[in-house]
Amino acid sequence: MKVKYTIDRATSSPVRLKRRRSRSTMPDYAKMKKPDVKLVILGDMNVGKTSLLHRYMERKFKDTISTVGGAFFLKQWGRYNISIWDTAGREQFHGLGSMYCRGASAILLTYDVTSWQSLAELEDRFLSLTDTASDDCIFAVVGNKADLTDAMAVEQEGEQEESCPASVCPTPPASPSAHKQVHREDAMALYRRILRYKMLDERTSLPAESMCFETSAKTGYNVDQLFETLFDLVLPSIMKKRDDEKISTVDLEQSADVAKAKSHCCS
Amino acid sequence: MSVKAFELVPAVGRELLMGDKALVNIECIECCGKHLYVGTNDCFIYHFILEESTSTKGKVTYSSQKLLHKHLGLKKPVSELRAVSALERLIVLCDSTVLVVDMANLEPVTSGVARIKGVLAFCVNENPVNGDPFCVEIGIISAKRRTVQIYLVYEDRVQMAKEVSTPEQPCAISLDGYFLCLALSTQYIILNYSTGASQDLFPYDSQEKKPIVKRIGREEFLLAAPGGLGMFATAEGISQRAPVSWSESVIAAAVCFPYVVALDQGFITVHSMLDQQLKQTLSFRDGIILQDFEGKVALTSTKAVYMLVPLPLEKQIQDLLAGRRVEEALVLTEGARSNIPKEKFQVMHRRILQQAGFILFGQLQFSEAKEHFRRGQLDVRELISLYPLLLPAGSSFTRSHPPLHDFADLNHLAQGDQGKVQCCKRFLISYLREVRSSDGSNGWRQDVDTALLKLYAEANHESLLDLLASDNACLLPDSAPWLEKHCKYFALGLLYHYNGQDDAALQVWVRIVDGELQDSTRSDLYEYIVDFLSFCPNLAVVWKYADWALNRSTKVGVQIFTRRPVEEEQLGKMNPDDVVKYLQKYSQALVLYLEHLVLEKRVQKERFHTQLATLYLDRVLSLLAASPPPVEEVTEARRRLQLLLRESSLYRVQCLLDKMGEAELLQERATLHGKLEEHKEALHILVRRLKDASAAEGYCVWASASRGSAYRQRLFHLLLGLYLEPGSAGDVQAVLAVDLLNRHADAFDAVAVLQVLPEGWSLQLLRPFLSRALRETMHGRRTAQLALGLARSENLLLHHDRLKYQGGPIFVSEKKGCHLCHNTFSEPDCVCLPGGVAVHTHCAAQRARDSPSKRHCANPSSHT
Ligand SMILES: Nc1nc2c(ncn2[C@@H]2O[C@H](COP(=O)(O)OP(=O)(O)OP(=O)(O)O)[C@@H](O)[C@H]2O)c(=O)[nH]1
Ligand SMILES: [Mg+2]
Repeated sequence: MKVKYTIDRATSSPVRLKRRRSRSTMPDYAKMKKPDVKLVILGDMNVGKTSLLHRYMERKFKDTISTVGGAFFLKQWGRYNISIWDTAGREQFHGLGSMYCRGASAILLTYDVTSWQSLAELEDRFLSLTDTASDDCIFAVVGNKADLTDAMAVEQEGEQEESCPASVCPTPPASPSAHKQVHREDAMALYRRILRYKMLDERTSLPAESMCFETSAKTGYNVDQLFETLFDLVLPSIMKKRDDEKISTVDLEQSADVAKAKSHCCS
Repeated sequence: MSVKAFELVPAVGRELLMGDKALVNIECIECCGKHLYVGTNDCFIYHFILEESTSTKGKVTYSSQKLLHKHLGLKKPVSELRAVSALERLIVLCDSTVLVVDMANLEPVTSGVARIKGVLAFCVNENPVNGDPFCVEIGIISAKRRTVQIYLVYEDRVQMAKEVSTPEQPCAISLDGYFLCLALSTQYIILNYSTGASQDLFPYDSQEKKPIVKRIGREEFLLAAPGGLGMFATAEGISQRAPVSWSESVIAAAVCFPYVVALDQGFITVHSMLDQQLKQTLSFRDGIILQDFEGKVALTSTKAVYMLVPLPLEKQIQDLLAGRRVEEALVLTEGARSNIPKEKFQVMHRRILQQAGFILFGQLQFSEAKEHFRRGQLDVRELISLYPLLLPAGSSFTRSHPPLHDFADLNHLAQGDQGKVQCCKRFLISYLREVRSSDGSNGWRQDVDTALLKLYAEANHESLLDLLASDNACLLPDSAPWLEKHCKYFALGLLYHYNGQDDAALQVWVRIVDGELQDSTRSDLYEYIVDFLSFCPNLAVVWKYADWALNRSTKVGVQIFTRRPVEEEQLGKMNPDDVVKYLQKYSQALVLYLEHLVLEKRVQKERFHTQLATLYLDRVLSLLAASPPPVEEVTEARRRLQLLLRESSLYRVQCLLDKMGEAELLQERATLHGKLEEHKEALHILVRRLKDASAAEGYCVWASASRGSAYRQRLFHLLLGLYLEPGSAGDVQAVLAVDLLNRHADAFDAVAVLQVLPEGWSLQLLRPFLSRALRETMHGRRTAQLALGLARSENLLLHHDRLKYQGGPIFVSEKKGCHLCHNTFSEPDCVCLPGGVAVHTHCAAQRARDSPSKRHCANPSSHT
């Protein structure tokens, strides 16, 4: 009887329920580590999205070219793989945004603290792209290039990075003299409008104070805090996702277990 | 830097197609095995056989042979061709009509309805949901506005399965499972034709540029996006790979894992899907078609067909490695996992990991290198062989061919930088240690251990001794000279010992102790050697070095013998007699050894006891001979002698007595007499010569111990007799006698004492003795009475029981029944059970047999 029982279980294993193999000769491309969760960085071109990601992943500030299409990185965070998408800010690629955002667990809306326009663009152009994101997606508003306006952020600079020669560097030389156009309060106001747009209750959502960051990819100011705060915030959503998957795959096993338990007490 | 991933090879030239007809162009192609079909704008289909051949240098060439060409009888171009080999059919789109023709003769299938009209474009579902192998599912864009239809194509008929409408006019189509991926006029969408659910992907202006919709695998598509991007999208509408960047003028794209190949007006570009980088660019003019078929890519200009032949993966990877592009090489390798048979892949993967490991090793990135070596299951000797002289001379190892790296050796790698060399050595130490502790050194432990020994010795590493003291496979002929070179003499000894050459080991160590060799590893080497000898099973060696050890220190040296474990019965047991004989020249050692035997091991052999006693006595005598004798030493020496004389009863008493001669060793002498049971003499000595009453009493107790009370009484009476002996100096002896009696009252027979005591002694004087004696006697009497009473009462009880069991008379008659079988008695013989119950004798016997134990059986008594 026992043997029979195990056979039953084998035939009902989820593997058998998988879709039939493709008839095509083309392989199922080995997708490397499958990410558990997705983080997307949005924002106008030139605000420093790619630089932020480089700073975080490679711990340095280097020359960038305006991103074409998009790029992504995998970050191992504890037991989880987090994919971080760097999108292109150029108008030309705007249409791809909602696809990148589909199913995202966190979205970083990035602006340049020296450009009021870049903040305005977030609301005008980028916010609607986030409609495809996951229901429990969290938002962060990130003001980059803080080194240009904020003495604090400059001093943060630990070791002098291989700073690009002034002729190549398209941004003005790093000095807190540049005019700060966007204040943190503006960003927080935007954050609250985002919540309203998402029809979320401000009282039950993450507070603006903790979700509005000012960073500098150039000096590294606040960059780790930004990413790591977000990683920690998305963990619950990873766990939920895993649980969901478990429930849908383990079902059969569970019912088999129940059957086993039953047969046991009947015999 | 780029990779050469593909080679462009001509397949069919224009001479086999349109010749020099300038207006005739290729419109579409299809490959199926060796068969190549070409459709032209003048409504011809050409059928070729394409033979591939590979030159010895690995260069691929194609020779093509035209089998057939056929006009379809229409005036329009043949715009699409798809082969269905299972059905042996070719699905053709021409003049907005899908027709099915025979793959071999290109004749249209006439039977049944094998035609679909009003078709703008079609695609074959390569991952169909229905499982029928003799049926193909195609998706078509219908001329009917904003409609897509799913048809099933059979050998001889077609059948519509589904029709779905779309929000805008579709212009390109691809199909996977239930998922239609469509380019509409302003955007791409995914449409599930089963549920009707649709998912927007991203906007795209199809007016401006021709869209591309290309299925690249299960539920994943590649799409031309604005800005010349190649976007990946899954059926859920998610991008799982970053886009690749094509030019704005991209015409067609194909996938040949792990590459995405794209065609534009002047070039073929090759991007890797693994890292999205541009890997190769080939110039190609007038390209119009690019399509992948079964791992190959075919492309055409307007007049000729070419193949893009992928270079062997291995070659590509090697090129990357040669360019030190480790990461890319590994990505490429691992990406190919699912495309290569498992065995083959593992071999390749391992090798590449090893190569990658060596590249990183060369860059001193040790932890990464180690990880690669580990995963690549590197034969650790490959690494060891980089270090000059580490591999044993006799090692059978040869580096793998082709080589895993291009370093001659460590010096070549470090370019004379000693710092680097040291780093590499430290790395090897840690690596070899890990290899040892895992089972990675299978089969070549000798090489590993020997190399490790050499590294330790060179680096003055503390683990050298641990290595040699534990289980190891260091090769002696290779290691010994190395240890000598680095003055690791103590370790050298350990190595000899491990290899069963204890003699050689000791030779080295002795030379260190004697100062001939310099090695300060152990400051207590002498003690170590002694300890070593005490455990050494090779007796010849032990004897050989015993003199050396004893000459250095008899006290320590003798431990060679005294510390020897007794359990070594089988393995060359050391005969104590031999040792004793040997130790004659070392008297102190001899005493220590005999003490060990007699006092510690309690060896019951007369010779040892006698010899030890003799030695003790000699010592006492020699000490006494000095003038003045050293008091303390004499006391101590005598204490030992006395103890031995008392405790042991194996030595030869007479011999010792003789030896003692006239020396004033009264106590000892008394003991010896005691051993001979000459108690009278003994007590005489103690009382008369030594005049030590307590010694005399002690003697009585000692000599009678374990002998019983009668013996004891005899001794005490003897002593008493001595005290009372007439003629002796009266008073003092009387006191002694009284004290003796009072103290040891129980040791005397009171009646006998009273008889010998002088008449005039006062009763008061002997009171303690007498009262003890009296009490003793009284006690004895009362105890005896009590015992008598108890015995009597027990006897009465038993008597009572007996009478009870006998009971009164029992009557048996013919009317009375047996209690067991309930039959009457016919004879007077019966058995009486307890309680006076009469039963038949045979019933009683029966019952006794049946009962599990005889306990239940009553005393049978017959009664008549
Ligand atoms: N001073 C300063 N300059 C920055 C900082 N971050 C980025 N930049 C500069 O801003 C420019 C644009 O940076 P990117 O990271 O390429 O911007 P992006 O947002 O990725 O732009 P797109 O890819 O076009 O969307 C570069 O010249 C950077 O050097 C920063 O924190 N401080
Ligand atoms: Mg960028």
